Amino acid sequence: MALAPSDCIFAVLCFEGPDRYALAGGLGSRVSGLTEALARSGATTHLYFIGDPGAPSVEERIEGRLVLHRWSQWISRYYPNGVYDGENEKLYDFNETAPWHVADHLAQLAVKGRKHLVVLGEDWHSAEAICRTSDLLHARGLRSHATLIWNANNPMGFERINWGRLGYIANLTTVSRYMKHYMWGLGQNPTVIPNGIPEHLVAPIPAAQVQRVRSALRADGAGPVFVKVARWDPDKRWNMAVSAVSRLRGRGIAARLIAKGGIEPHQREVFGNAVAAGLSIADVPVGESPTPETLADALRSAAAADVINLQGYLPVDLLQVLYRAADAVLANSGMEPFGLVGLEAMAAGAVVFTGSTGEDYARPFQNAIVLETDDPGEIAQYWDQLQSSPALVEHMRQAALATAAEYTWSEVLSALFHRLDYLAAASPR
Amino acid sequence: MAKHLVIYTLAHQPHRLKLPAQPIPPGAAADDIARCLFDQRMDQFYFGRAAGKCYHPAIAAFTEFLCAGGKLCFGISETLLDQITRWDPSLLEALTGFVHHPNCELITVEPEHSLIFYLDIRRFVEGLGRYRQRLEREFGVVAQVADTTEMFMSNDLYFALARAGMRGGFMDGRSWVLDWRSPTHLYHHQLPTAILARHTDLSDDVGYRFSNRSWHGWPLLASDWAEWIAKAEGDFVFVGWDFETFGEHQWQDSGIFDFIAALPGELKRCGVECLGASEVMDRFADHSFDLPLPAFPSTWAGDGGVGFFLGNPIQQALFQLMHHAYNKAILTDDPALVDLAVKLTQSDVLHLTQWFGRSGDEAQVSAYFTPREWWALGPDRIVWEAQQVFKNFIAACDPAAVAAVRQSTPLDLASDLDDREDGSDPRGVTRERGPQEAHHKTKAQ
Repeated sequence: MALAPSDCIFAVLCFEGPDRYALAGGLGSRVSGLTEALARSGATTHLYFIGDPGAPSVEERIEGRLVLHRWSQWISRYYPNGVYDGENEKLYDFNETAPWHVADHLAQLAVKGRKHLVVLGEDWHSAEAICRTSDLLHARGLRSHATLIWNANNPMGFERINWGRLGYIANLTTVSRYMKHYMWGLGQNPTVIPNGIPEHLVAPIPAAQVQRVRSALRADGAGPVFVKVARWDPDKRWNMAVSAVSRLRGRGIAARLIAKGGIEPHQREVFGNAVAAGLSIADVPVGESPTPETLADALRSAAAADVINLQGYLPVDLLQVLYRAADAVLANSGMEPFGLVGLEAMAAGAVVFTGSTGEDYARPFQNAIVLETDDPGEIAQYWDQLQSSPALVEHMRQAALATAAEYTWSEVLSALFHRLDYLAAASPR
Repeated sequence: MAKHLVIYTLAHQPHRLKLPAQPIPPGAAADDIARCLFDQRMDQFYFGRAAGKCYHPAIAAFTEFLCAGGKLCFGISETLLDQITRWDPSLLEALTGFVHHPNCELITVEPEHSLIFYLDIRRFVEGLGRYRQRLEREFGVVAQVADTTEMFMSNDLYFALARAGMRGGFMDGRSWVLDWRSPTHLYHHQLPTAILARHTDLSDDVGYRFSNRSWHGWPLLASDWAEWIAKAEGDFVFVGWDFETFGEHQWQDSGIFDFIAALPGELKRCGVECLGASEVMDRFADHSFDLPLPAFPSTWAGDGGVGFFLGNPIQQALFQLMHHAYNKAILTDDPALVDLAVKLTQSDVLHLTQWFGRSGDEAQVSAYFTPREWWALGPDRIVWEAQQVFKNFIAACDPAAVAAVRQSTPLDLASDLDDREDGSDPRGVTRERGPQEAHHKTKAQ
């Protein structure tokens, strides 16, 4: 019989989390959605993350079943620029303290409540903490009460992991078959448990909001309008996206790229190439608390630009509006462990161009355009095909919505708990 | 024959360095710097272990010893007193009762168990005085006698004790200091400030050899030891031990507590009377001898010289870093940072790296006291990370040092002196300007 959520206490160890301070990328979205879904499913869930130093150190949500532990706040006070500012200092403290809290508090709670403790570490920052948690549970005679899982969302920091130790004490999981194969090369065989998206992302998006943003995107006669949301990283193939826009414009098509990146320096190279290709760029701040209305206004202010560089934080709900309003979303990464942006865009009913690595959810010409190369001509070519086949576009939008619905957290958790039963039985001790 | 016995024990736990060194956020406040430098969780663990094995049972055992007519001089470092206050209220209560026993004489000590006297003798003197006042506030007892860190004693330290207003102090009775003299007499040097010389052999019979089954004196019985005391030539025997000897260094199953329990009766049988240090100073003040004190200090640790603390290159490097850390803290004008720098000069840092590149009994003792958790790093990394703690601290003082430079006039006295062409000191003292200084001044002009 599978473990039920109410049988478990989850401890999730992750640098990122639901605070804006702690949201740096897909990991923050994942862990926020995962922990919330776990709590809603009935599992008491404790998330240890590098939270906002100005927020309460402990906060209960969802009738007390989700407990946020904002860790290392005393260090974060010296590092205002988000979760990875002062990374090494925070990592030291996280490794030094979070495992003790899990072992001394949660494990005791689990034993008293006759619950099974599931400790889930996310990405390389938590690898050492998971190992120490195992050691501490052993020292307290509680190791057999716990299942330790370490999940790889991407290969970043793999060189800093002691694989022999981690693989010995924890069950390893990852988010796609691509990552599974990647980790085979490290002598590990992780179980694949896909990423998920919050249920509300598959809810219909208000048409008026979409229309307002769409008209702003297409102001000045622009079109097609592509949206790309990713870190400024070569793996994300920003240059491919910019070149595709350039090629289309070279053919007299008023293509435009709406870019939302991070703070990474690769941006300069991308924009340098864009300018060299004759594209104009406008920086557009989105403001403190953007709405569809303010976003539309901001977009209109830069209506003449070929590339609009959105600056500032865009909440996920507003991104959904943007995805849906665009003609296509370019999630064209060259290396993507899972591709959460692609899935989120599909949940918005967008036409999505994905890469062909970890995007297990993408099926070529059924629910997405799956790019096999880094050739910008491939984007341009498939765009031409879509232009000539509105039915395919509509079919892909509907199929994308259906696919996204299969990846909501409730669906993913169902698979997780089936897996968990086996993992608990096979758990390293 | 010695008919008097003075027993001194010192209780101490260190601030253990946090290894590997924890990186310190730039601009961190002193409290946050402290949590990066010192491993409080490790301190709490080892304190808890020592409290269970030693402090609670040993205080109980010595209380019975006092009630049976024994007398004891007792010192406790401020580091340990803070730990007891924070982590074990019942122990603090027991300790308070113990210190108030009329047969217990409270000894003041260098509060941080530090080597600050090497770096800043004035701060050493101030520290003794401040801690004596704290002990008076905590226990209502004014200590008259002081022990220095690891019983260091040298010519300058003797005068420092005198400047601190202490009536007397201790030194280890090593032959290279005493020469032809016996440790069983009262000593002084130039001043009435008294010195009790620890009887190394009779002390180490209990402190080091008690559990040693290959020692010809094993098992050591209270009756035998009392007889050895009684047979010693001189006025009195002064023995000194770590308080942790009782239960932690010598485990309970060694019979160490039985030894203490039997001691009052055996001493009485042998005609040996226990005295406090102050009582000895009263009784033998007229029979005190001048003792030339060495420039290089003696200590009760190791073979009695500073080699135990400065004998290998790693210790010497750490000792240099202690200086740099302290100097840097001084340049910040921030008392909290200076306090941290003093904590970093604790002798334990050097004690716990004595084993590096060495073998033998002393290295084994040093390695034994090195926290078990550190060994996972390996010996090379232990000493590297220990140095890194100091380097991190020095760097962490930068913001405060910058602020101090911006807020203060640079080295007022030196600039005043340089600016006076007649060479007169602004305090009114006229001095001759040397030829090099005159040349320098000319060039500068």
